[in-house]
Amino acid sequence: MSAIDRWADRVTRSLARRTSRRGVLGRIGAVLLGAAATPLLPVSRAGAGIPNGRDVPPTTTGNPDDPGNPRSCDYWRYCGIDGFLCSCCGGSASSCPPGTEMGPITWLGTCQNPADEKHYIIRYNDCCGKFACKRCFCNRNEREEPKYRPQKNNEIHWCLGTKSTAYTCSIAAVVGVALERDDAGGS
Amino acid sequence: MFAIGPAARSDVRGQGDPRLDYILQCQGCHLADASGAEAVGVPRMEGVVGRFLQVEGGRAYLVQVPGVAQAPLDDAAVAELLNWMLLRFSAAELPEPFEPYRAEEVARHRSRTPIDVVATREALLERLERLED
Repeated sequence: MSAIDRWADRVTRSLARRTSRRGVLGRIGAVLLGAAATPLLPVSRAGAGIPNGRDVPPTTTGNPDDPGNPRSCDYWRYCGIDGFLCSCCGGSASSCPPGTEMGPITWLGTCQNPADEKHYIIRYNDCCGKFACKRCFCNRNEREEPKYRPQKNNEIHWCLGTKSTAYTCSIAAVVGVALERDDAGGS
Repeated sequence: MFAIGPAARSDVRGQGDPRLDYILQCQGCHLADASGAEAVGVPRMEGVVGRFLQVEGGRAYLVQVPGVAQAPLDDAAVAELLNWMLLRFSAAELPEPFEPYRAEEVARHRSRTPIDVVATREALLERLERLED
């Protein structure tokens, strides 16, 4: 037996006398688990800190004729929305966050403004090109219709005709007044 | 929150106001100027749609194309919407004299929509090409 073999034999036996197999496995496991958990921590904390955007500070339009908080699902223009609010994602109720592109085609609906009780035409565009924002998810669906009427459906992924088809968030822009009086519904 | 009555079940309808019906039923894809989005299969109507009236079957097709035939509008509103669209976006391509759609004609075409819309459209486009030759 060579000197190196004898040395290795001695070290191994001595290690085996001092430690249990389960202890070694436990320690290796702890190191592996720690390594796996460390990079996750900031990510999950960020997610936990903003449960559905409730910790996103409220904002206003500054216009009494356009009342409410555009970072809340209750905001009047969001009556048919389904998605993450761009106003919580670096954009606004009618503009996309920097680095994203507005899908050119979409669906339009109407929402009633509580300030003047008029029904306004709302354009719900998706902003595309970055990861899903995941803040302020809203799904109100008022006046939304099934997919066989695509011009009235909000479940369609409207990132069509954009460079990237990745969905980031949704906006609700006013197109104009649909009805001056509150007798919506027509025939 | 504001009251959500029966009105909230469906959109405000522009019955009698074709511009409003266009915005609510068509504009999302065809866009405000009817330029469409060819990249995703939404054809341009601006400067084009009136040409369909120059060939046999084209007049029926504009009623039967699914976006029109299935729109939540009654026949009279569809007639008004088509007349408004044709004059607004494609007046130069209309045959002389332009005979406006009426509710009865819309009802007739709407009750017989073709099973293969794409083939119908292709046949019409071929007829239009032959017109140009």
